Amino acid sequence: MEEVYLMVREFLTIVVALLAVAAFGAVKISVLCSPDNADALKWLAREFMKQNPDIQVEIVPLSWELLYPKLLQDLRSQAGSFEAFTYDVMTTGAVSFGLEDLGEFMKKYASLLPADFDIDDFIPQVLEESGKWQGKLIGLPFYNNTMLFYYRKDLFEDPKLRQAFKEKYGRELTLPVTWEEVKEIAEFFTKKFNKNSPTEYGIALMFPRTHTLFYMYLLFFGQYSNAPLGIMKHGTADLEYGEYFTADRKPAFNSEEGLKALEMMKKLMPYSPDPLGSDYGETIEYFNQGLVAMVPQWTGPYLIFKSTVGAAKVGIIPMPGRSVSGQWALAINKFIPEDKKVAAFKFITFATSKWADKQKFLRFAVAPARMSTLKDPEVRAADPRVPALEVTYVSQTHRPRIPEEPRLEDITVETFSKILAGTLPFSMDTLNDLAKKWQEVLGK
Amino acid sequence: MRTILRVFRYILIFVCLIFFLFPVYWLVITAFKPSNEWFTWPPKFWPTQLTFSNFFGAKETEVFGGTTGSIENIFPYLRNSIIVGISVSLIATIISASAAYAIARYKVGGAFLAEWIISIRMLPPIVSAVPLYVIFSRLRLINNWWALILSHLVIVVPLGVWLLISFFREIPREIDEAAYVDGASTFETFFYVIFPLSAPGLAAVAVLSLIQSWGEFLLALVLTNDARAQTLPIFLGRYITGWRVAWGPLSAAGIVTMLPVVVFAILAQRYLIRGLTFGAVKG
Amino acid sequence: MMVLPVLVLFLSMTIYPFAFMIWSSFRQYDLSKGAETRFIGLANYFEIFSDRTAIESFKFTAKLLAIAVPIELMLGIGVAFLIRGVRGEKIIRSSLLVPMMVPAAVSGVAWKMLYNYAFGPVNWFLSLFGVSRISWLGNMNYAQLGIILIDVWQWTPFVFLMIYAGLQSIPQDLIDAARVDGADWGRVFLHVEFPLLWPLILVALVLRIIDCLKTFDIVFMTTWGGPGAATHTYSFYIYKVGISFGWNIGYASALSVLLLLVSMLLVNVVFRLVRMRQQLGFGGEER
Repeated sequence: MEEVYLMVREFLTIVVALLAVAAFGAVKISVLCSPDNADALKWLAREFMKQNPDIQVEIVPLSWELLYPKLLQDLRSQAGSFEAFTYDVMTTGAVSFGLEDLGEFMKKYASLLPADFDIDDFIPQVLEESGKWQGKLIGLPFYNNTMLFYYRKDLFEDPKLRQAFKEKYGRELTLPVTWEEVKEIAEFFTKKFNKNSPTEYGIALMFPRTHTLFYMYLLFFGQYSNAPLGIMKHGTADLEYGEYFTADRKPAFNSEEGLKALEMMKKLMPYSPDPLGSDYGETIEYFNQGLVAMVPQWTGPYLIFKSTVGAAKVGIIPMPGRSVSGQWALAINKFIPEDKKVAAFKFITFATSKWADKQKFLRFAVAPARMSTLKDPEVRAADPRVPALEVTYVSQTHRPRIPEEPRLEDITVETFSKILAGTLPFSMDTLNDLAKKWQEVLGK
Repeated sequence: MRTILRVFRYILIFVCLIFFLFPVYWLVITAFKPSNEWFTWPPKFWPTQLTFSNFFGAKETEVFGGTTGSIENIFPYLRNSIIVGISVSLIATIISASAAYAIARYKVGGAFLAEWIISIRMLPPIVSAVPLYVIFSRLRLINNWWALILSHLVIVVPLGVWLLISFFREIPREIDEAAYVDGASTFETFFYVIFPLSAPGLAAVAVLSLIQSWGEFLLALVLTNDARAQTLPIFLGRYITGWRVAWGPLSAAGIVTMLPVVVFAILAQRYLIRGLTFGAVKG
Repeated sequence: MMVLPVLVLFLSMTIYPFAFMIWSSFRQYDLSKGAETRFIGLANYFEIFSDRTAIESFKFTAKLLAIAVPIELMLGIGVAFLIRGVRGEKIIRSSLLVPMMVPAAVSGVAWKMLYNYAFGPVNWFLSLFGVSRISWLGNMNYAQLGIILIDVWQWTPFVFLMIYAGLQSIPQDLIDAARVDGADWGRVFLHVEFPLLWPLILVALVLRIIDCLKTFDIVFMTTWGGPGAATHTYSFYIYKVGISFGWNIGYASALSVLLLLVSMLLVNVVFRLVRMRQQLGFGGEER
């Protein structure tokens, strides 16, 4: 009898909520997002509103740096200023407390979920990493970003340059798979070390004192820590703590592998224009202007490179060493009225549906989170990066997603920046010091 | 000899002008450059062709790069900045004048009050973000112009009070007394006699308040959520994406952000010059 | 009196942030951990002393204060005298005011472009003199110099404006009288203009001290405090602690209380040294 009573109550709540949505006319929801997601979301919002005229969706872009603090403040104060939002993968743990449990929500409003939503179609690691926190589903993957390695195909295929490279290094100019190989190629393409280089620098690296350095480190660290020897020592990283930690959740960077990664970064710096002072904006321009022959970057810049350097000249391969994940997911604010949650739910399921996932990749280069998109022949024909993406999604490294992550990021970036600049000694002691600070932050 | 000195003087002035104006020039010129000319070597000091797309942009905003292609969506933010800025400017002038008058003439609060007001300026705005957020969310004024106006007043009034206290001290008491003798109330004395005499000081306060409110960014971030109340400094952030920093539109937005204040200040500079003496220079 | 309600409203709006700041500095209040607070006595303050980044940011802010502010004062005074009476004075004057009016966020964008390593006009200009490219954002010393330069660029006009205003308000008869007494422009400056300008210079100094300690926007837009902690200003660090990595309000408040105390100390020292409280608008003495 109790169960029937509960079921009836649930049913009535749903009906009332749906009636509220219908009765009060347009429900207005606002979606806070980063500028990276804004274009796609705005278009999706427009399509969504065509099909759901009773819901008004407003997309509010806020710069990356300000998005997380704004979200955290709003969720802690339970002010409910935004109904839905995109959150960056590494802040999952920190914001999880304020996100609606979508698993429960889907059970409650099973009728609202589109028939073809197929939640199993999401790439499993992506769903786990950006959408789940400690077993609960709190977000739907929207932008499955990762880093790729872009290079000047025309220069790599130029017979004269290939000949010169062979003469100098005794091997063919092959597409690099490890950072050691990158180093030789970078040296070849840097005018200071090779007067005949067509570009002034070999590679555009970004090691600035921002969150960028935190993930750039993983590109190098991953090569050593995820190699068989590294796995033996540190274990396989889990998706909650990522490669910065060992399998038993201790800092992993204060190790031989960690030091090797920093050494590699330091070795590459002479072949890069101002690595300590360059961030995205700068390295992308360097590649655009032909100053460098190679650049590790996220998926987005590809469309820019196509129009500046030209599609024929831009080659793409998976990252030497390892790549790193950078996903965005859509979530619903827990502290808003039920009818708004329903409206928000409709929107985020729309925006992460199979159709949306494919369309936003084709139109806006928002990297796909669904397997169906990756397998779609139309998609594979339209974008040459899909094979590289498929490989990368499996092998990439991950940043921690725990609530302390932003703080850990900052102290780490400061130490790494100082090591690379030369004001802190390049030694295990420095890394151990850092590990100690990590323990302090985690312990509190 | 004199001519050499004169020439030298003009050269120095020229160098100063270049130093102070070049960054602004660079910003302005970047706004008129197409994307392939934002960063070149050697730098292009004049675009090969003046481009307006950073201002007016493509017809379609729902394409890749649409949000960052131009400054089309700037209007609500401009409107908010103008409303908040002008309100702060006007109200700050009134409050500062009232407080300064009371302190200068009637020594309300004595030395302590004056010092307290100046100390407020020493408070980093970051630390007042949370308490102000708490106050305004209780008053349900978040994402509302008033939250910004009131918070900016807190930041801006101290300087105004300080400036005007000294200014009012310059005006001899006899003028007040003459007005009383003629039957004017305190308010009327203030309004009809003191006010006009201190116009330069008041104008200085108005301009300085506008400048400070216009550029304020932290409180705007915390106290507002979207285009209904957000101001221009926050709008600038959206041009920084993971695939490019849209320097052209960002510069265009920068121009719109700075133009009103610069124009207003230049127009009012005569008053600024007369009013910024803090009454400190005495004859 | 008419002023009372306004004053009361204003004071209450300013007392609350002060009180909140002091209250939370004694508590563990960290939004990334939870919305509750807990009394922890002086723990936040003690942490500051073992926080290397806080100490480095304090050092850089002191450097900024010690280098930029005197340059701004001297340059501002110099420029005011330089353009006085020159042809086209009004236009030159208007142009010189511009950096002060440009919001700091916007100037940050402009300077970030100027300081670009490979394509920036600053490096191009230096290359004309044979100087090889400088990493303005990536080299610790140059980054510090870069921030100091932006500060000088932004605030010299303010000092210039004040001194210029002061010069304009010096009654001409004083100068004429001195001239009649046979003084050349050197003596006029030393015995007439400078003494009259002195209080104004002090006001400018005090205002600059207070504002310099709050420098934040330009670091945020250009170097982001790097490399390492080289260009962390104290207020920038408070921003990072208090907002950027998750609203550690308790610790940020402790840092802010310290900033406030230093601010007050410096200003009082300046006033005391010069014994000009009265003349500058403080103290209840009637002239």
